[in-house]
Amino acid sequence: MPDFDKLDKAIHEKGRLSIMTLLATRLAWSFQDLKAELNMSDGNLITHLRTLHKLGLVAVTKEIRDRPQTSYALTAKGRSAFAEYLRVLEQIVKAGRK
Amino acid sequence: MNERDRAEEHLRVIRTLMERATIYRAISAPTALAGGVIAITLAAFIWVREHHWAENAPEVMRHISTRGFASLWLGALAIVIALNTFFVWRKAHHDGRPFVSPSLKLALRSILPCLVLPAATTVWFFYDGFEFDNELLLVRVWIGFYGLALIATQHFAPRSLVFLGGAFLMTAAAMMVASRQLEYYATPLVPNLAMGVTFGFYHLIYAGCVWKSAVQADSE
Repeated sequence: MPDFDKLDKAIHEKGRLSIMTLLATRLAWSFQDLKAELNMSDGNLITHLRTLHKLGLVAVTKEIRDRPQTSYALTAKGRSAFAEYLRVLEQIVKAGRK
Repeated sequence: MNERDRAEEHLRVIRTLMERATIYRAISAPTALAGGVIAITLAAFIWVREHHWAENAPEVMRHISTRGFASLWLGALAIVIALNTFFVWRKAHHDGRPFVSPSLKLALRSILPCLVLPAATTVWFFYDGFEFDNELLLVRVWIGFYGLALIATQHFAPRSLVFLGGAFLMTAAAMMVASRQLEYYATPLVPNLAMGVTFGFYHLIYAGCVWKSAVQADSE
């Protein structure tokens, strides 16, 4: 029987899960690209990103090229938390099928 | 919703987002079908026209000028680009996502460098190259670099598209090896046949192979 408590509660929320998933696909995502891909409002997206950043799962880089640009990436901790989350999720689905 | 249903729902979200972010079909199945039909129709038109005039006015070496040949194919390209733009826009509109998505930008960044040389060759062809019946060279460059452009999307394109790119590239390479034999035949029949086979038949075969999976993916 899988232990549901092992599921990372910070990731186990649809908005944050979507952000973590996208960040896992590339090295870095700009705020605008994340917003376009997830179809979220600025406020919603920034709140989730702040939560993930505070937990040390997401790194933030601010650059000024022709205009200020903020990009986000998974930290090593975030990457392993996401992998662990997927592993537990898989166990839950498998256990349910038995 | 119990924990298992929730877990399955979350796995589905992860799968959809990962596919959307990492898989991008630069050429949709409908575009391949339309492009294939247009290319075969144009190749047949050029062939019939040449054949007809060769019988009625055999003293004239060729009936469609060198630049006319290239212009006709560029016209077909413009129609296919417009169609592809429409299909991409329709899909984005259907999904409620912006037309210029991160995936589209990534695809363009990968594809465009491969099209610089064919574009330059086309410009050269219209200024100078046409004088020496260089369609065969032009066509080889178009076919080969189009193949390279498709292969350049391999990090996010489905494998089928990379195979299609490989087929174009190998055809161009084979045409390069057989240059001497191909140049022996009447211009513009060989270049026209090469365009019809590659941009016509290859695209039709690709559309036929991926139609079901591409339409399924589009409707998800």
